[in-house]
Amino acid sequence: MVTFIIRRLLLVPVLLFGVTVLIFAMLQLLSPIERSALYVKDFPKNEKAVEGIIRQYGLDRPLYEQYWRWLVGTVDTVNNVRHGGILFGDLGYSRTSSTPVADLIASRFPNTLDLTLWAIGPVIFVGIWLGVQAAVHQNGLIDQAARIFSIIGTSFPTFVFGLLFILIFYATLEWLPPGRLADEYMQVVNSDEFRRYTTLITIDALLNGRFDVFWDALKHMFLPILTLSYISWATFLRVTRSSMLETLRMEYVTTARAKGLSEHDVIYKHAQPNAMIPVVTLAGFSVVGLLGGVVITETVFNYPGIGSAAARAATQLDVVTMLGFALFNGFILIVSNLAVDILYAVVDPRVRLS
Amino acid sequence: MPDLLLDVKGLETQFKTPDGIVHAVNGVSFGLKEGETLGVVGESGCGKSVTMLSVLGLIPSPPGKVTAGEAKFFGQDLLKMSNDEIRHVRGAQISMVFQDPMTSLNPVLTIGRQLEEPLILHIGMTKNQARERAAELLAMVGIPNPKDRLNDYPHQYSGGMRQRVMIAMSLACSPQILIADEPTTALDVTIQAQIMDLVKRLRDELGMAIVWITHDLGVVAGIAQRVLVMYGGFIVEEATVGDLFANPSHPYTIGLLGSLPRIDGKEEGRLYSIDGHPPVLYQKPRSCPFAPRCKWAMEKCWQENPLLTPVSSEHRVACWVDTKTGRAR
Repeated sequence: MVTFIIRRLLLVPVLLFGVTVLIFAMLQLLSPIERSALYVKDFPKNEKAVEGIIRQYGLDRPLYEQYWRWLVGTVDTVNNVRHGGILFGDLGYSRTSSTPVADLIASRFPNTLDLTLWAIGPVIFVGIWLGVQAAVHQNGLIDQAARIFSIIGTSFPTFVFGLLFILIFYATLEWLPPGRLADEYMQVVNSDEFRRYTTLITIDALLNGRFDVFWDALKHMFLPILTLSYISWATFLRVTRSSMLETLRMEYVTTARAKGLSEHDVIYKHAQPNAMIPVVTLAGFSVVGLLGGVVITETVFNYPGIGSAAARAATQLDVVTMLGFALFNGFILIVSNLAVDILYAVVDPRVRLS
Repeated sequence: MPDLLLDVKGLETQFKTPDGIVHAVNGVSFGLKEGETLGVVGESGCGKSVTMLSVLGLIPSPPGKVTAGEAKFFGQDLLKMSNDEIRHVRGAQISMVFQDPMTSLNPVLTIGRQLEEPLILHIGMTKNQARERAAELLAMVGIPNPKDRLNDYPHQYSGGMRQRVMIAMSLACSPQILIADEPTTALDVTIQAQIMDLVKRLRDELGMAIVWITHDLGVVAGIAQRVLVMYGGFIVEEATVGDLFANPSHPYTIGLLGSLPRIDGKEEGRLYSIDGHPPVLYQKPRSCPFAPRCKWAMEKCWQENPLLTPVSSEHRVACWVDTKTGRAR
């Protein structure tokens, strides 16, 4: 198990290198003048100044040199400051948010992480539970109902549910607001007494003992979570159901029954752990999707996460910000894949020991 | 017959399929005496496994269904028991070993965990007691370093060793009956012999009755005292092993025996094979199910299905023809 994890960890730098090369290649689609905008807050109007920037950052140099500069930046030996260098966290300057891209990610990502944290349960585990129930009652009433219910969720575009839920729960019933926090609680969070241990609002609220803040944060996340869950249940249901049906036909399930185990133990102790192997992959993708920012859901509910920021950058052709997000997403994907691989080993001893 | 441990009468099992109802078992009756080993022989799909699975209520339903019959075990009808009642018989008093040891153990649970389950469930052992007993069981079936091997997973065992584990698991609660459903079919010949020796040794030590399902008459000769020959969901012949091999009376049994290679036989010539295929019965046959493949078939065979009738005290056969003379009985 330990060697397995170490071997997987050794792959991470290789994959990261691949991601940077790919993003760098995308950057080359832009002209040197366009790329020069990466490095400055205020783009100069006169041509001379632009050329100066191009020369200063080596944008007319050979590709490998540019790549290296892009990675580590350049050190200004006079003032001893570093310019650029994604390895040092300089992802360029975001025009649309008027902050460096790295700062934008740092301020938005905790919100996305918070949402992901609370959405994992409803999205994944409820989906799996539905799939198991459908398989156990194959072709029965529960199976049909679960399948029809979830297929509706997948069939409609996300924003339809988003708008529908806003219409019902916010506009009509006035139960659940969009956004991140009510203004009064936002002030609490930004005040000095409220200590930001983790930067996740729900967790920090609990750690500070402010249950009112916690509850308000949860209320704001309820509709996005509901939307995200409903659109993904069908996928989980389908994969879990077919995997479970296949497992229930296996000989070892008959063995378990022949041993005299109750149907409950046969299903949950013998069949389900085997049926989870393909679901782990799906769950991994799902978490990557959530962490990378759920663009439409965040936009519809005006939730200030990575997704809504990326959407704004994309609509305003803010290439620098988009590339920054792309790089960040690549990083998340690699880390999540690592987690999925480790989870595989936990679920399936054959992976662990081979 | 007195003191029958298991007494099955008129068992019928059907499966619903898209092509219609398949009559898999059609009124099977047999008895199993205490400590006896009963061989059940027949081609694939003749209903031998389904018969035994029906008795234990292990037929997947739907599509399968036991439609008639009774199976008396200690005075109680297994077929009428509720799910909960029969659960306490399965694995405790009647247990089963399956054909393919590669697929009949759960790949994600340790061998120890799978061995402990019936002990905890039926005997009420604590986790630690069950652990100790599991190691003893592994030792009993001849697995070296049993204590260490409890933590291993099935894929770390070879096929023969997995079948040993299956046998250990089925004998964990000292059942009165062990149903072995082709337990040596998936193994190579030397391992087959080892597994049969193991089962014979354990039978002598523990004294359980065994139902040994197989399509291999050689295996039956080596382990069973009495044999049922099945065809098309019917028992077509029932005899002691010696009698069956000396005086096979049903054309199907004769065909099966004729297709065995003999160590004292002549070398030339091909082995005999029965023409045609075993039937899939969408209707309960009114004629003899074997008639289409039978070289003795007469007019009566096409009109009426023969019942199992005694030819001597412990030998019964379902056939209109006296195969010795070639005339009607």
